[in-house]
Amino acid sequence: MELAKLNRNTRILNIAAIVVLAIALGMIFFYAPVEQTMGNVQRIFYFHVGSAWVGSLAFLVALVSGIMFLRKPSRKWDTTAVAAVEIGLVFLSMAIVSGSVWGKPAWNTWWLWSPRLTMVTIAWLAYAAYFMLRGAIDDEERRGRFSAVYVIISFVTIILTFVSIRILRDIHPVVFGGAMESAQGASEGLQEFSGLDSMKMVITLNVSVIAFTLVFGAWMLNRIRLQRLTDETQILKSRVAAQLQGEV
Amino acid sequence: MTTPPISSEQSSFWPSIWTIMRKDLRIEQHTGQTVSVMVMFSLVTVIMFNFALGTNLGAARELSTGLLWATILLAGTLGLNRSLAIEQENQTFDALLIAPVHRNAIYLGKVFSISLFTLALEAILVVVFIVFFDKPFWRPPVLLVLAMGTFGYIAAGVLITSMSIQTRSRDVLLPVLLLPLSLPLVLPAAMAVSAYMFPQWPEWSEVQSAISLVLIYDLLMVTVGLFTYHYVVEA
Repeated sequence: MELAKLNRNTRILNIAAIVVLAIALGMIFFYAPVEQTMGNVQRIFYFHVGSAWVGSLAFLVALVSGIMFLRKPSRKWDTTAVAAVEIGLVFLSMAIVSGSVWGKPAWNTWWLWSPRLTMVTIAWLAYAAYFMLRGAIDDEERRGRFSAVYVIISFVTIILTFVSIRILRDIHPVVFGGAMESAQGASEGLQEFSGLDSMKMVITLNVSVIAFTLVFGAWMLNRIRLQRLTDETQILKSRVAAQLQGEV
Repeated sequence: MTTPPISSEQSSFWPSIWTIMRKDLRIEQHTGQTVSVMVMFSLVTVIMFNFALGTNLGAARELSTGLLWATILLAGTLGLNRSLAIEQENQTFDALLIAPVHRNAIYLGKVFSISLFTLALEAILVVVFIVFFDKPFWRPPVLLVLAMGTFGYIAAGVLITSMSIQTRSRDVLLPVLLLPLSLPLVLPAAMAVSAYMFPQWPEWSEVQSAISLVLIYDLLMVTVGLFTYHYVVEA
């Protein structure tokens, strides 16, 4: 048996993620202009959008792995789904915390029970419960099957988060595909800033989204490798136990 | 000896849903345990919430739509657990699986019968809430939103409960899994219901988005249920 080695792709992606993340951070602090109404606080925005983006991307990956698992059960897809949900939860938490830190100066409160914020919290809870479900099932095959079904169901919360912000009135600005709505919201005085003020901001945002995506990719590969190592250790352990029993 | 021809799945699909519903309703008719437990539990919940709100009737009235939904959700978990766990315990569910019935017919049959139980509970709750909080819960659109919400909630609930009863922690796991998943439904449903609590009826445009969110949820959950249910009940 060969242990899951740190392969070349993972190494390259690890380094690329660190480098691009460093560039993105540099751009956020030194390249992007100061926003007129909010000042430096707005710089949180790049980080916030990046982590929210990775959050939904990770849950999409989990959904796809869930569907693939149901079509053809294999440990590979189960591991991918676990890794994606775990990482998605971390990034969603970062999005919530960074949003909250931004909300204090912008909305003068850490938290608002607006539809979008509520929906994101719900999604967070739904995905956290994924691990409760996994922990309650011993049989490996059944655990894989049930968690694949659950990961498909819980994606409904992500879909509804995206839909609700577009049809319910909300204080939270729409970033992805929402230029029209945010412009409209701004004219109604609903939102603090309408879209992005300058080209520099757009470039910084794109670089930080790319950086976060690379971090996600690298993290996924490392997490999957870690799971494979855990599995292999388990197999070796049971083999040793069997051998010891044979000697007695 | 000739074997009787097995009718194709398509032609027996709706009749078998109806048969499963009738079976559940008959059990309920004989024992009456599911609905009565749900009703008792909801009454206790409503009274308990009133302790939290104190004697402030104004505040209680404001919160009554949310309270109604919270009560339905909590009582719903009891109904789901009871109706599905009882089959698991008596191993009658295995018999259902052996029967030449499409898995989705079992799923829909269960969704419809447990929805009916929950609707029976809601009929009682609506009267209780009108008496306690003096709000127009009897309005047809309110009842319609209640029915739509219940259907979506139970559609998700049957799927989740079928999984949770097969795990180690069983009853404990159900609310943890199901309640977060039902919140995206309850949020717009409660918004729509509270829009109808004022003396004047709201404009359609005011409730349109909330009601369409409820509809989207129902559709998504039933679709996911139909596609994944047979993976959940596989031995």
